[in-house]
Amino acid sequence: MVGRRADHRLRSKRKGSVFVVDALTSEILNGVGSFATLAIVALGLGIVFGLMGVINLAHGEFVMVGAYVAFMVQEAGRSHWLAIPIAAIVLLLLGGMIELALIRRIYQRPELTILATFGLSIVLRQLAELIFTKDFRSVVNPVPGATPALGVLYPTYRFVLIAVAVTVVVVTLLTFTRSQFGLTVQAIVADRELAESAGIRTSVVNSLAFGIGAATAGVAGALVAPLGAVEPQIGLTYLPGAFLVVIVGGVSRLWGVVLGAGIVAAVQTGAIHFADAVLAQIVSLLLAVVVLQFGRSSRSGLVA
Amino acid sequence: MRLQATGLEAGYGAVPALHGVSVSVEQGEIVAIVGRNGVGKTTLIKALMGLLPATSGSVRLGGNDVTRWPPSRRVRAGLRAVYQERAVFSELTVRDNLRLNGLDASAQADVLEMFPDSLIGRDQQRAGTLSGGEQKMLASGCALRAGASILVMDEPTEGLQPSNVDLLGKHLSQARDDGLGVILVEQHLALATSLATRFVVLEKGEVVASGHADEPDIHERIATHLVI
Repeated sequence: MVGRRADHRLRSKRKGSVFVVDALTSEILNGVGSFATLAIVALGLGIVFGLMGVINLAHGEFVMVGAYVAFMVQEAGRSHWLAIPIAAIVLLLLGGMIELALIRRIYQRPELTILATFGLSIVLRQLAELIFTKDFRSVVNPVPGATPALGVLYPTYRFVLIAVAVTVVVVTLLTFTRSQFGLTVQAIVADRELAESAGIRTSVVNSLAFGIGAATAGVAGALVAPLGAVEPQIGLTYLPGAFLVVIVGGVSRLWGVVLGAGIVAAVQTGAIHFADAVLAQIVSLLLAVVVLQFGRSSRSGLVA
Repeated sequence: MRLQATGLEAGYGAVPALHGVSVSVEQGEIVAIVGRNGVGKTTLIKALMGLLPATSGSVRLGGNDVTRWPPSRRVRAGLRAVYQERAVFSELTVRDNLRLNGLDASAQADVLEMFPDSLIGRDQQRAGTLSGGEQKMLASGCALRAGASILVMDEPTEGLQPSNVDLLGKHLSQARDDGLGVILVEQHLALATSLATRFVVLEKGEVVASGHADEPDIHERIATHLVI
């Protein structure tokens, strides 16, 4: 093992300093980055499933829209940092409108929400192809270079991604657990009819919660845009992982999504370190199967 | 303000439970809805609040036709409810229940003080850990302090100790005198007769008798319909 790790050791020079690039440390940092990305993408999925019981198969496309927002902001000559709040606002509005026009009509039919959001995902991808074509677009990394940390050099932008994603996740969690809005959401989850009878406009809260779920995905899309190609299929990369997180962490408590992201990221990072990416996917799926088979009996209902 | 149901029909799926029920209440009066179990009293409360859609007839509140309004809109128009089952958010704390009903700090304290032996000092407790009667007291207190003009209540004394039944009766009487209109579904006939200004008797989803509390034979007429 020591020999294997020694094989992975590399040396690099930056501003005259010498850093040992340890493969394990790099993979741990990659794991933290993976955790942050999984958490922010899955959080929106968890909110929508926990509150409304809607399995949103178009959630990956919300990530895709966020990535294209980042691309368009770049094309407009604006800062990438502006793209993040713009993506949040665009997806908040888009999510709210989708809830109003489509989801609201089929709450009582869970199987229809799966079909409807699957159809919506196709429509959004086709729209992206019509507007941007299938060509790969790139968003320039706003913070190129690497930063030394824990004895390794690690891409600076990935640190920024982790910081922004964790901030968005924490703020979203606090919004849903500590604010008056969060209390109304908990009331709706507990008893929708009683919430209505207390004067809570459940339809408005639903639209807002769906919008917030979409907005977190949009922020995720804008954040990951500089890391790879922006293209209509980009959302499909993130959707399976997000579902895996929701399955492992559950939505009975929203913090469970964060826990699930941590578990999935740790398992995948470990599997990649000791084997390869294919085994990481297999282990992750096995983990989901085990959780579904032996996990908690109650997997619905969103509670802080 | 007046709550007026006219020719109201509602039910569960294809099974109708109300057949053209007409009932009304003005601010400052208490209308007791009485009848044996399963005659449609709870269905009437749900239909008045909008939890069950009216298949026919209308509900008017303060001059507005609210028949198609969702419950939350009726609440904003001045209507409140206390339900027989699921009266409070059992997974949330007593304090959260008070906040969810839109009560400010002063009104929240008022609710706890309305039933001091049962609620004071328990605001951080999960509402679901209260007894059934205590949950009813919490729900009734919230509804009475929420600033409503009309209140519909379904068996609010169920599970209450006799002393708390008297206390609730006192609060309802005070609220009526302060201008609150109440539709009261109540099995506790002694309480109903002591508070009500009018009576409506339901049988098989229909109004079979009604009258004012000051009519000399009103109690006999009610009793006739309640004898099994």
